[in-house]
Amino acid sequence: MASQSTGSSFSRRGFLGIAGGVAATAALAACSTGGGSGGSAKGIKFWNMPWGGTEFNPLDKKITLAYAPKSGLGAATYQEIQWANFTQTFSSAVASNTGPAVSSGGGTQAFQFANQGKIAYADNLLDSWKKNGIYDDFFDGLVDTMKTDKGYAAVPYNLDVRISWYNKTLLSEAGVEPPTDWDSYRNVCAALKKNGVYGFGLGSGAGSFTGSHILAAFMINNGGGLFNADKKPDCVTPENIEAMQFILDLVKSGYSDPAAATYTSANVQAQWKAKKFGFGWDGAGLAAGAVGDVAGDLVVGSPLTSPSGKKGGLYFPNNIMMYKNTPSQASSEAFLTYYYQNMKDLWTKKTGIGLPPLKSIADTPEFKADPNNVKIIEEWQPIFKTWAAPGGDGLFYNIANTVDGTAPMITFAQSILGGSTTAKSALTTLQTSMEGLMK
Amino acid sequence: MTTESVTGALKRARSGVGNAGSGRPPSNRERRRRVTHSRAFVFFVLPSLILLVLLNLYPVIYAGLQSLRNGDLLSAGNFVGLNNYIAMVQTPAFWHAALFTVVFTLVGVFGSWAIGLALALLLRTRIPAGGLFKVLLLLPWVVPVVVSATSWNWLVATPQSPLPILAEALGLGNVLFLANPLLAQVTVCVFKVWISFPFMMMMMSSALASVDVNVYEASKVDGATAFQTFGRITLPMISRSTYISWILMTIFCVNDFPSIFLLTGGGPVNSTQTLVVLAYSTVFQNFQTGPGVAIAFMMTIVLVIIATLLYRQIRKVNIE
Repeated sequence: MASQSTGSSFSRRGFLGIAGGVAATAALAACSTGGGSGGSAKGIKFWNMPWGGTEFNPLDKKITLAYAPKSGLGAATYQEIQWANFTQTFSSAVASNTGPAVSSGGGTQAFQFANQGKIAYADNLLDSWKKNGIYDDFFDGLVDTMKTDKGYAAVPYNLDVRISWYNKTLLSEAGVEPPTDWDSYRNVCAALKKNGVYGFGLGSGAGSFTGSHILAAFMINNGGGLFNADKKPDCVTPENIEAMQFILDLVKSGYSDPAAATYTSANVQAQWKAKKFGFGWDGAGLAAGAVGDVAGDLVVGSPLTSPSGKKGGLYFPNNIMMYKNTPSQASSEAFLTYYYQNMKDLWTKKTGIGLPPLKSIADTPEFKADPNNVKIIEEWQPIFKTWAAPGGDGLFYNIANTVDGTAPMITFAQSILGGSTTAKSALTTLQTSMEGLMK
Repeated sequence: MTTESVTGALKRARSGVGNAGSGRPPSNRERRRRVTHSRAFVFFVLPSLILLVLLNLYPVIYAGLQSLRNGDLLSAGNFVGLNNYIAMVQTPAFWHAALFTVVFTLVGVFGSWAIGLALALLLRTRIPAGGLFKVLLLLPWVVPVVVSATSWNWLVATPQSPLPILAEALGLGNVLFLANPLLAQVTVCVFKVWISFPFMMMMMSSALASVDVNVYEASKVDGATAFQTFGRITLPMISRSTYISWILMTIFCVNDFPSIFLLTGGGPVNSTQTLVVLAYSTVFQNFQTGPGVAIAFMMTIVLVIIATLLYRQIRKVNIE
């Protein structure tokens, strides 16, 4: 019978034979060095995030795969990692030792993994870069933001910045010049309000952390910030109270959009597009976003001088880190040296990545073609500080737990932008919440 | 035959050991056959059982252990006993989120049920293009919540959005649907009712379809008013489906993360934060895995209690 015949053709003996064959093939495949890289060292895995538009990762992959290692060093493979659930992606991979040898990631990721003992510090790499010129090519002070007590947790890669923007046409219609200090900024807001335009434009809604960033930036601008030199939360300071009181005054005067506390990034862009925001605070990519026809009218403002006489702003030096779980530390370092010597196209071909960490890239004609870029580099970059201000420059582990996109920071921003609190009360609540999150 | 013996016979029949035939004890051969059957049954069920345990029980146990530790997303942390549970119930944020979860669930369940039932009753009557209406009314349930939430955000978020413009034209002033804490709570509740009523409509439609038309005709002969018919016939007759739909919708509402997170992110100032949103922000924004999972476990316990109570109600309906 057909059924019996079929049954006998797949006997237990036959099955074992096939299984054995498959196992042997797999074992042989595992022992082989594979394809064209026969005889060379084991390749290293480079995981990078989608830092720009759709053209970013293909170009980045091309740069990575063009790497030709010297004898004895491993070639690089490329993997794009999506932002969705990236923390889980990295943490599970690193925990199971299947993670990358080199990667970018969240701005504070390197410091979290360093705390777990998973990071290969970049001190040797940076020493080698002092000899080949890359080290001196970084913007002043930038490398120091990566320094921890045990060494450099990562190397700076691209800069996410918080800056002021204004619509030159709306300012002109209001008959005011761009502000230079807090007083003149208040005057600009008042003049814009007469035309039904908001002068303190930003958002702090679902998935948008910009609002909390800007409030911290105002504290830093006034010589304050959220952490002291001991890396402990220190929110309720005279500088911070003065800065938040200034923001509350703007809110209560009607210079801020009353719905700003719940604006998503898309809502903020819609308000710029609708010419309801005449002056506001955002990232470097605002004009390239969905702001429609007003993109050509948007100009980067100059940093304001605070009542303390100081200037300052907040930036996030995104970075590339190396992991201890690598086939060869020498291969990781050699690849990164190659990458930093060849990554220029990511900026000159306008892939949408944040600002460059290297002066040589910022000096290229392609980058300088955008006057807003030039203004950020010339006026803002020298005064930028990290979350660690005013206590220090170097990022550290607890920043990720306490302020970087955390719930207390969002609540703090929404309470200030709602206007129904006092500066001291809001800062005291923030202080308490941050202390509760410290590890 | 007594009630006891009938119940016993039914029980035996359901469990496959009925001896309603001759009443004589099973022979050895029969017994061996049953043992073989039982073994075969266990062997067939075992793979599914193992899969079920691996897919469901293992993560639950793992999460349970996480809730007893002070780890984060990168490390397991140290054992801290019930400290995470105790710490969470001592925070005002937890109780605020719990209270709003109750409000959100009550409005979500009964709001969507009332509208769903009303529409189901309406669609029983012969109206032109009734089928088309049914399909259109299902859209809020069918469309992915990401799309719905984005659309609602576009409708209400800024003063230039359609609904605030309409409100201003009606003389209500500048209505901040998402920025005002109370209005934001109302908005997310209304959104939940809007995306949920089609489910209730379907449940109620199928329940109504199972009611015998003769009952209505009999009540009409007895002179019952429409209100009496609805209250004393329709509602009791569909009560089983109603309780089931309440259980399901309660679970949907308590566990509803995307509706709130996409619309308000839990804001402004935590006013629309439910327990599931609080659990998310605790784990993924504050990197406190233990307390976040503890919240999720407490939610689960409460859900099980609610489901059990409603399930008992269903059994009571069956007995009656």
